[in-house]
Amino acid sequence: MATNVLLDTTITRAMGADDGPGAAVAWRKVLWERQPYPDNYVDRRFLEELRRNEGLRQYRYWAVVQEAGLVGEQLSCVAIFITLWLYMEEGLLSPETLLVISLASSLLGYGLYQALASQAQPVLQPRTRLADLQSAAIFLAFIFGFSPVLKTLTESVSTDTVYAMSAIMLLAHLVSFPYAYPSTPGCLSLNAALFASVCLASRLPGTLHTFTMLSCALMVFALWPCLLGQVKDRAPRYFAAVCAGVCAAGVGGLASRWPVGAAILALALVSVMLMCPWLLVRLQRHKDNIHGPWDEAEIREDLSRFLH
Amino acid sequence: MMLVRTRASVLFYKHNTITQHSFAVTRRICCVIKVLRKEALVMVLKVFFPQCCNLAASGLLVGRWIPHHDSAVVLAVIHYPFIPSHVKRYIQQMAAQSRVDLSVLGSWSLPQDGQEGMESFLRDLSTMFPRQRWLQISRRLGHKGFTCCLLGSTWPPKERKVMLSQLHPIQNGFPQSQDDTLSELRQVFHTVSSSGPLFFLDKYDDGPLKSTHWQSEGREGSIIVEILKQASVPVCIVLSRILALWTWICSMRVFCVFPLPFLWSKLSSCVQLSYRSQHLKALSSQKTADNHMQFIRKANVFVSFLVDIGLGLFLASWLYKDNNISMIANMLVPAADHVAKELVDLLQWLMGAPAGLKMNRALDQVLGRFFLYHIHLWINYVHLLSPFMESILWYGGLSACLGLSFALSLLSDVVAFLTFHIYCFYVYGARLYCLKIYGLSSLWRLFRGKKWNVLRQRVDSCSYDLDQLFIGTLLFTILLFLLPTTALYYLVFTLLRLVIIMFQGVIHLSVDFLNSFPIFAIGLRVCRPYRLAEGVRFRVLSEEPGSALHLLMEINPMKSSAVVHTYRTPTYSCYPKDSWGALIKKLFVGELIYPWTYKSAKGHAAKAE
Repeated sequence: MATNVLLDTTITRAMGADDGPGAAVAWRKVLWERQPYPDNYVDRRFLEELRRNEGLRQYRYWAVVQEAGLVGEQLSCVAIFITLWLYMEEGLLSPETLLVISLASSLLGYGLYQALASQAQPVLQPRTRLADLQSAAIFLAFIFGFSPVLKTLTESVSTDTVYAMSAIMLLAHLVSFPYAYPSTPGCLSLNAALFASVCLASRLPGTLHTFTMLSCALMVFALWPCLLGQVKDRAPRYFAAVCAGVCAAGVGGLASRWPVGAAILALALVSVMLMCPWLLVRLQRHKDNIHGPWDEAEIREDLSRFLH
Repeated sequence: MMLVRTRASVLFYKHNTITQHSFAVTRRICCVIKVLRKEALVMVLKVFFPQCCNLAASGLLVGRWIPHHDSAVVLAVIHYPFIPSHVKRYIQQMAAQSRVDLSVLGSWSLPQDGQEGMESFLRDLSTMFPRQRWLQISRRLGHKGFTCCLLGSTWPPKERKVMLSQLHPIQNGFPQSQDDTLSELRQVFHTVSSSGPLFFLDKYDDGPLKSTHWQSEGREGSIIVEILKQASVPVCIVLSRILALWTWICSMRVFCVFPLPFLWSKLSSCVQLSYRSQHLKALSSQKTADNHMQFIRKANVFVSFLVDIGLGLFLASWLYKDNNISMIANMLVPAADHVAKELVDLLQWLMGAPAGLKMNRALDQVLGRFFLYHIHLWINYVHLLSPFMESILWYGGLSACLGLSFALSLLSDVVAFLTFHIYCFYVYGARLYCLKIYGLSSLWRLFRGKKWNVLRQRVDSCSYDLDQLFIGTLLFTILLFLLPTTALYYLVFTLLRLVIIMFQGVIHLSVDFLNSFPIFAIGLRVCRPYRLAEGVRFRVLSEEPGSALHLLMEINPMKSSAVVHTYRTPTYSCYPKDSWGALIKKLFVGELIYPWTYKSAKGHAAKAE
């Protein structure tokens, strides 16, 4: 019975819509009351709560370029690592030399890191020197102990497979790197980089080579981003200079062994650091976001008062 | 009446609880269903009448009215002439002896030549034996049907139609087991089987009473069974003494030192021996079987035991003639050598580049040398044993006298011993592989930055420290590149182990078959099918309007497959523990598989009783 009645009133209402809105009754945006308007009637206030491009940020070109510097810098890091490997493989660089250099530079970097960290206010739980020493000892012992095993790992795998695997892993490293917070190591990025370095290091002709390569990889992929993060936080004026320096070193180093690669790297750097920010700024004007009361609610208030 | 006819032509229903004894005596019964019309109300009376009495001379019907149902069971016909006081005294005696509520039901008349005036005499009988209801059943020679009529006071009609399936109603598949509400058929059979003393009197006796009854055509029995029953008592006593001695020996402390009980439980010949001795213990106990199932089970065990020993003696006679034992012994050591040589070849192949797979050379060499050393040890051990092989086999062959099943399980144990090295290899390979798979899966989670949450049994994200990440990645790389080598060794040894398990499985299945097949029950089903019943069957004998409906009730023997299924002896059978899917998953992950498990015989025996 109820459905029949409803059907009747809808039909009459639909039939009555051609006559225009009902007289002298204001339309309200509710559906639980019968109104003399059809169900899909809207008045002049339709979409008055629509807002376009709310909270749109206007990027400035050079700021974006500076932020993009980190991406380019990471690309160059990978290039520097590959350069070192190329040198070791062709026998131009002896492992002892590289070992000494990397140890010296890691000590230097450690000192710099401590200097920068002590500038800022002390963090709640700083790592003690002893813990750092312990970590370093564990790393070195582990690599040294396992390098004979690691050396024979890819003996029976063909060269092409090794190169392909390393390339994919380094790409994964670049893609998953935590560019926003470089201090905290991203799991997948670090693991992928280490996997690629093990693959490459096992191709080298000696156990000491493997050891050196892996220590180098540890330094470049694990320790350097921490230092870089500190520099970015504490001394932002020098950050751009550091990035530029690293990029130049990467291109130059690669150019000495593999010019084609250097050219590709330069092209990539230019496109990432110069062209992409320009594109970003240019395309901002085409942005067309709409916001309204139909959006999902965002909790903006500070909930930390519940945490005590 | 229409309803009764359609139900009565052939009727099967299943119930296995009617006692065995009652079937021995009641081979064929006639059932007479009488429909009385009285003032347009129909009432139905059922009379169960023995077929042996179809041709009995006229006389008195003695039997029992079944309470709560409108039925009567006729147990005997006491022939004319008789003295009523003798009859009354006899009936009281029999009722006291058999504890069955016997009474005179009515009269039976089969007029033969030269006997006139029976009708009036029979009618007067009802006054001599005053009863509420008096049946008069009569028959003419040459006619199939009976005529019945019921004298006496009427009682309110309870039934207008009869459903024969209500004679033994089964609710929810289980027959009712309360004593007060025993089904009608069960009461009929129970009455007949309890009134044993009534059947001692015969129609050729010289006493004052002559009767014809259920067992007039000959009692069920045979001389051999009687002799066996008499001889079994001293044999049982001797057997139980021997078994007590054996049990005492087995339970001595020296056999309970730690590794030995474990060994006994693993060797299938020991398990088989203990199983058989349990059977013998059950057989040699003095008390008789309580119910039908126990009796059949005991008989099955006994007969299968005899068959087993017979087959074992046959095997032993074949082994010991014509020097077969030394022939087998001479074949055995070269066979073991050949197997070892094949294994060595296989390992050499694995240590090279098998099937073009990429193996890590160092690990390959290590594993290969390890297994080669094992084989070397094994061959030395076999060569050490070879001079004693023949005498070992000779004494081992004696064990065939204990039964074919014991010999087969001994063979299975010997095969297990001979291939112990393959079992060891399989365990090593499986453990290594399992460890590797476990490590790989855990480190793969670390690679992606996730962790297994044991509390919630799911994978969660986790923020690892730098050193954890570093070492984890290194180990992951190492394990990943060493995986093909380990996996190949594992695969090869698992396949070998599976082959041996199949062989042992075949032997165990045949031992299980010998143990559990109910030979006695099948023999009974073939020779005396009415002893194993699966219900009763009704057939219409005569149906004429105006006279009673006459049905023939026969015992419906069980199907052979049902016999095997019901009377199988429960064994410690080995059955596959895992389904196929679970087995394959275990193989993939590297868990050790034990596809056959033994159910403990004790647990089974307890469950069966």
